[in-house]
Amino acid sequence: MNTIHYTGEHIWAGQTGHFFIVLTFVAAMLACVSFWLAQRDPYYLKLARTAYHIHGLSVIGIAATLFFMLFNHFFEYQYVFQHSNREMQMRYIFSCFWEGQEGSFLLWTFWNAVLGWLLRWQLRGGEWEAPVMTVISLVQVFLASMLLGIYVFGYKIGSNPFLLLREHPDFSNIPVLQNPDYVSKLSGRGLNPLLMNYWMTIHPPTLFLGFASTLIPFAFSIAAFWNQKYKDWQSLALPWTYFGVLVLGIGILMGGAWAYEALSFGGFWAWDPVENSSLVPWLVLVAAAHTMIINKNKGSSLFTTHFLAITAFLLVLYSTFLTRSGVLGNASVHAFTDLGMTGQLVIYLLSFVFLSVSLLLRETLFRTSYILLSFLMLAYAGIYGEQKILLMFWVGASAILTYVAYLRYFPREREEEHFYSREFWMFLGSLLLILSGMIITYFTSIPVINKLFGTEYAPPKIPVYNTWVIPFAILIMLLVAVSQFLKYHKSSPGKFLRRVSYTFILALIFGTVASVPLYFLNDFSGADADGKRELITYALLLICALYAVLANADYWLVVLKGKVSKAGASIAHLGFALLVFGALVSTSKKATISKNTSSRKVSGLSKDFDENKSILLTQGDTLPMGPYFVSYRSKRREGIDVYFDVDYFTRREDKSFEKLFTLAPHVQDNPRMGKAPEPDTKHYLNRDLYTHVTYADLNVDTSKASKDAYASAKNFVGHPGDTIFASNALVIIDSLRSNLSEAEYKKNDSLLIVTAVLKCVDVRSQVYYARPRFTIQKNVIVPLEDRVDALGLKMVFWKINPDEGSIEISMSEKLSNNKDFIVMEAYIFPYINILWLGCLTMAFGTGVAIVERIRKLIRKN
Amino acid sequence: MKKIHIIGLLVIAIAIAVILVSLKNTSTYADFAEAAGNPDKEYHVVGKLDKSREQVYTPQINPDEFRFSMVDNKGNSREVVLHKSKPQDFDKSEQIVLIGKMEGQTFHANDILMKCPSKYNDSKAQLN
Repeated sequence: MNTIHYTGEHIWAGQTGHFFIVLTFVAAMLACVSFWLAQRDPYYLKLARTAYHIHGLSVIGIAATLFFMLFNHFFEYQYVFQHSNREMQMRYIFSCFWEGQEGSFLLWTFWNAVLGWLLRWQLRGGEWEAPVMTVISLVQVFLASMLLGIYVFGYKIGSNPFLLLREHPDFSNIPVLQNPDYVSKLSGRGLNPLLMNYWMTIHPPTLFLGFASTLIPFAFSIAAFWNQKYKDWQSLALPWTYFGVLVLGIGILMGGAWAYEALSFGGFWAWDPVENSSLVPWLVLVAAAHTMIINKNKGSSLFTTHFLAITAFLLVLYSTFLTRSGVLGNASVHAFTDLGMTGQLVIYLLSFVFLSVSLLLRETLFRTSYILLSFLMLAYAGIYGEQKILLMFWVGASAILTYVAYLRYFPREREEEHFYSREFWMFLGSLLLILSGMIITYFTSIPVINKLFGTEYAPPKIPVYNTWVIPFAILIMLLVAVSQFLKYHKSSPGKFLRRVSYTFILALIFGTVASVPLYFLNDFSGADADGKRELITYALLLICALYAVLANADYWLVVLKGKVSKAGASIAHLGFALLVFGALVSTSKKATISKNTSSRKVSGLSKDFDENKSILLTQGDTLPMGPYFVSYRSKRREGIDVYFDVDYFTRREDKSFEKLFTLAPHVQDNPRMGKAPEPDTKHYLNRDLYTHVTYADLNVDTSKASKDAYASAKNFVGHPGDTIFASNALVIIDSLRSNLSEAEYKKNDSLLIVTAVLKCVDVRSQVYYARPRFTIQKNVIVPLEDRVDALGLKMVFWKINPDEGSIEISMSEKLSNNKDFIVMEAYIFPYINILWLGCLTMAFGTGVAIVERIRKLIRKN
Repeated sequence: MKKIHIIGLLVIAIAIAVILVSLKNTSTYADFAEAAGNPDKEYHVVGKLDKSREQVYTPQINPDEFRFSMVDNKGNSREVVLHKSKPQDFDKSEQIVLIGKMEGQTFHANDILMKCPSKYNDSKAQLN
């Protein structure tokens, strides 16, 4: 084989990148081992710190190299080729960076490294530095290996973003790449246009920072198992846990806002597996934050705190597995494509479960037998298969041993928690969060369950999630309202009940008054049993969310005298309650105003089949739609986006129209994903009008000449009495008339003229006649066309089939007959701004709580 | 019995309830024949567009009605009424998942998922 000497490649760039990857990996390993040794012998601490610095710096090195390559368009590299191009604006370069799997793993590794630095600085010289940093370095070893892209015993480990196109298995045998001069001919494929917006710049880094921050409570918890100091880490980890709650929460909500603003899911939350799998770690992290507070104040809930701190991290790994392994298949709209790392992701997830359980088991007997059992099962699975059954057995064994550890190592509470104590209700609240998280995980995991058990369950739809989550939301809102009014240990029941009853009565009155028009007035009597139950749960949630808002405002303003610095929890809870309130009202009262006017029902299946969601807007016509009159004015193309300008009017007293505003929903003619509709929304203070185009002709050509031309003719075979459908009229073959009888024609061979009388009835029942003729003499056929100019129709009568008695007519229509139209959906989301206000309030409150916790930590030292 | 034990039992009860209730009601993947056997239950039917039969979409009459035919994975073709507007790029779909119920010989779908050609193919095409 001849070696080709390629010109124009920047081999050094890839080599630099790969060097940094290997260095990152090796340095993380070295850091892990030496932090581990430093636990016993502080001599190794210096080495460990240096190794960690090298690790962190080389992560930055990888990122910098990749940026450099993207920036300078080194398209000979597969990652650069796949995710960027020359035409792209530079502000999207960050988006290119994390569009692919490798880049997003890199982003995650980067945040972990940064958080690790900050944490090491916080813990410097203390007893927690070595064990916590060991865990963090170990996680970094795993993450860095996701970028290695090397083969070990035929298994691919990681995926290297610094691979040349001609080295990449998907591209290597493409002929262009055999050309020594191929680099100069390359142009990148570019960023997916759907991702070219500012959300793609801010959402992934926030979300991954949130993911990364679950590492810290996990690292503390594992370190605590290890040096058997179960109790001392909570106040150190608490600000970090709050930080995770804040950042992950913002990341998730940004995803929701993105979906609402720029994608056409028809709402801000669709219970998509990708959304769920970042929501569940958040729920668990929130629960962990609460049990940590219980533990700090009361010493109880120790096992739960550890369990949740570890679970939140494991769920992030599980989420990574779900969204990146391809296991979701059809279940999700925005999972990553499979990079063949499924096995690796499963192994990582299981490794961390294994690590957690084996460190939890303090007694040598248990620990050794668990480790041995795990390795035996792994070996058996490797040699004989049966992986699924062994996996289930192993997960079961791990769960049982965790329970055994809970019974043996964690102190029993001497006395039961008092019913009127803050810790009891906080614990209950955490439990509700976990339970709802478990239910969401279960539904999201249905594709995994199918794989494991060979079942064929389909992923559940949105209402299933809502039905199950709303009861939890009701209870959580109640707890969010009352728990703060209780003291730790014990409160006086009478005083407490009196204190919380004022706001409850207020909420009950306001909530009921609001529920009557919202849920009971129109919808209730017409609903069936299920529908009635649903409306009652909505009303209950409305009252409870309102209660949570009022009670937390009360606690903040009256009990804490409006002091912001102490009121982080109250403000955050208030925001959370507002968020739930806004989500409830805007979703349950979401109104489809684009109902189509035809009432033709095609099936007896009534309830599940909403046949009234789209409206047909023909260019120039003005139709009523909800409180508006709408008119589709024009379409225009900007790049790959086709915008449809739709004017909104209101009707004045004198019946004339007054234009209010224009919305331009558009369809992106995306070369990579096909046509993607993107909504346009009119924001009011108390509601949003959300519209998107579901069906339209994207061909933009409105020149006069093309309008006067006729479209290509369509042929019809028929008998007198038959009907032909034109776009603007019915054409009935009325009769056939000829000048001669058949016998005369055959005898004389003279000119035969057959006239087809076509009766054209337009939409206003106006009748027009067309008389195309068929002439024949001496076997020469001359068809004579006829037109109906008023209707823009042209008919040619060109054939008679004497045997069947049928005739053939071809008809063509003027292009302008087919007026352009769009099919649009329009929704009103009432009070959705309360949802966004809630998000901001919650973020602010959590921020206040973080600052306060840090202040307390500093004061203690 | 401590309060915490009562709560623990409740948690387990709820978990079991969720699993049982949801499995009973959850739609499953099926073919047309199976869906026809149980017309009241919602099914997910996977298949391919039947290109030999006509597609009818006349938004002037009803923008929320689109008729076509799909061949399920067993090779049976049935008429489908999708109670939505015609999806963009419908003709390019490689695989279709319909969500709905069978009524007689017609499948009424209230939702549709389409799998379009994979991401990698077109980037290769760009190189050729």
